[in-house]
Amino acid sequence: MPTPPAIVQAAPPWRQALRASYARGGRFLWFLVKMVLPWYLASELLLRSGVLAHLSSFLAPVMGLWGLPPEAAAVLLAGMLVNLYAAAAVAAPLALSWQQVSVLGLILGICHSLLVEAVVVRELTPRYRALTLLRLGLGLGAGWLLALALC
Amino acid sequence: MLGELLAALPGALGQGLILCAEIAAVVLPLLFGYELAKAYGVFERPWPGLRPVMAFMGLGPGAVVPLLAGLFLGILYGAGIMISLSREQGLAAAERLALGVFLVTCHAVVEDTAIFVLLGGSAFFMLVPRLVLAVGLTAWLARRGRARRGA
Repeated sequence: MPTPPAIVQAAPPWRQALRASYARGGRFLWFLVKMVLPWYLASELLLRSGVLAHLSSFLAPVMGLWGLPPEAAAVLLAGMLVNLYAAAAVAAPLALSWQQVSVLGLILGICHSLLVEAVVVRELTPRYRALTLLRLGLGLGAGWLLALALC
Repeated sequence: MLGELLAALPGALGQGLILCAEIAAVVLPLLFGYELAKAYGVFERPWPGLRPVMAFMGLGPGAVVPLLAGLFLGILYGAGIMISLSREQGLAAAERLALGVFLVTCHAVVEDTAIFVLLGGSAFFMLVPRLVLAVGLTAWLARRGRARRGA
């Protein structure tokens, strides 16, 4: 029995895109809930119980350089060591001004997810350690200048 | 104390889920946009208009695609395109370093900015300093390298 001629047409690009984003979007939603919810709850509870203020109070003079409350140190740590979604979840309960959020956004935009991204940068250039330090310095420096300008 | 925190838990859980939904509402359309751009080959075009900017930063035409992929998709999601292409195009070590300097400072610009705009930050103050720093630093590096080689 002759096999029928195969009518295989490549799907139009927009359909490929739709299919790919459907799959990725589902995974992203799950990642988001797993990432944001625990960090948000931790931030909210530590904030309400006063533990966050207690732990971070000694940082007040340092964080003041960036016009930030000491509690925002937790946002920086979460962003640098985990990722920006964790940082946003920690920042959300803090009731920050738009200037403070912008300073945090600039620092962390330059300097985030340092550990996982260094692994990728290593594939690009052997000087990934220097580049990671560069991000840290550049992020904190740019944030400091922005804080001077805005606050 | 503990009772108070427990009473705050359901509200915090709801707020956390709302934050997830807000982030998803911003990032999911972006995901679709990236997939559309990929499917229509936006990241594979030579983009001759970008050559002068690239040359200013000491980057040749071979670096356009990895740069665009990193700039929009980000270091983690764009990693596949960035790394395989910088290998295929046989980028020189200096060019890879320049690409690394640009990209660690400035990548996934739309997504990163959007997350902090959601929290009230200013898109202008989070995005423009990052772009200026990345372009300026990479260009400075290129000039320094050229001066060292005595060209």
